Amino acid sequence: MPETYLTQSPRVAWRVYDGEAVVLSPDDSTLNTLNSVGTLIWESADGMTPVSAIVARICEEFAVDPERAGRDTLAFIATLRVRGLVTVSETIPQAR
Amino acid sequence: MAELCLGIAGLRTAVVTPDPDLAGIVRGRFTGFVSSGPADWRLEISRPPGRLPSAGDVVVRPDGGPTRFSVQRRDFAGTVDVGARRADVTLTPDDVSLESFVRILYSLALVEAHGLVVHAASLIRDGGAYLFCGPSGSGKTTVARLSPDATLLSDELSIVRTTGGPAVCFGTPFRGELALAGADRAARLVGIYFLRHGDRHAVLALRPRQALARLLPNVLFFAREADITAAVFRIATGLVDAVPCFDLSFRPDPGFWEVIRNA
Repeated sequence: MPETYLTQSPRVAWRVYDGEAVVLSPDDSTLNTLNSVGTLIWESADGMTPVSAIVARICEEFAVDPERAGRDTLAFIATLRVRGLVTVSETIPQAR
Repeated sequence: MAELCLGIAGLRTAVVTPDPDLAGIVRGRFTGFVSSGPADWRLEISRPPGRLPSAGDVVVRPDGGPTRFSVQRRDFAGTVDVGARRADVTLTPDDVSLESFVRILYSLALVEAHGLVVHAASLIRDGGAYLFCGPSGSGKTTVARLSPDATLLSDELSIVRTTGGPAVCFGTPFRGELALAGADRAARLVGIYFLRHGDRHAVLALRPRQALARLLPNVLFFAREADITAAVFRIATGLVDAVPCFDLSFRPDPGFWEVIRNA
C-alpha cells in the first residue's frame, strides 16, 4: 500500500474545545464535532504526516490494536473527504 | 433624490433613493433608527425596471469578487459589496421586502465589525442584555411578551457585537410576531439562552462547544465564502467564550426570570 497524506481544507474553520475539535464547513454550514480520536486525526492532517504515523499514534495514545485503528482511521478519513474537509494525497502536497 | 441615514447596531448606512414612495417606506419602517453623522455604508434603492429574476428563497452568490455578492429573492435583486461598503437593490415597494434586504445587508456588513445577526429575542433587564435564541416556534416572542418590565431590543432578530471589551447586544428594527421594532438601545450581554418549551422552568449551563453548536444554526448568514464564513465562526466562538450560555426550558409565565437570576 502506498503511503498517503491528509491535508485540511483551507476552506474550513475549526477550533478545539476540551480536546475535541469542532469543524465548520462553509459549503453547507455544517458543524462537525469530532471525538478525541477524530481530533487527533484532524490535527495531524497537515499534509506532511503519513497516515501510517497517525495510526501509530492512535494505537499508542488510545491503546487500540493496529488492525482496528487502521480500519477505523480509513473509514473516518473517507467521511472527512466526502464532507470536503480534507484532501488525500499519495505525495506530500508541498513537495509537488 | 432622497437620502437618510439608518443607524443599526452602531453601523450607519446612507439610504439613497430617487423614488418618493420608497423613501417613505424607509422612513416608516425604520422609525427610531434614523441616525446622523457620517455613514459607514451606502445603499441605493430603486424599483425594478421590469420583472425580477425568479428566486423563491434568498440566494446569495459571489458576484465578481471575493467580497461582492448578488442577493436575490422573488421580490428583490441586489448586490452587496463588503469591500466597498456599498449595496444596491431593486425591490417591489413594500416594507417587508425592504426589511428583508436590510437584514441580509447587515448580516454581511456586520462581520467586519465583529457582529452577528442572530435569530433571537433580546431584552434589557436590570441594566444587562439577555439573548433568547431559537427558531420559529421556540418561544422568542413569548419570552418578550412575558417581560413587560424589560426593554425590548427585538423579538425576532438581534445583533451582538464583540468589538473589544464585553459583548454588547443591540436593539434592531427587525420585527417578529409582535410587529414591533426594538428600542435603539444597547447593553452588555450577560447571558445567552437557547429556548425550549417545557412544563417547568429550568436552566442548564452549557460548555462553549455545546453553546457553539446551538448558536451557529441561529446565526443569520447566507454567504458561503471561506473567509467570511471563518470570520463568522471566529465571532461566534468569541461570543460563547465570553458570555455564559444556557439551555432554558420554560413554560409560559414570567417565572423563568427567577431561575435565570438564580442560575
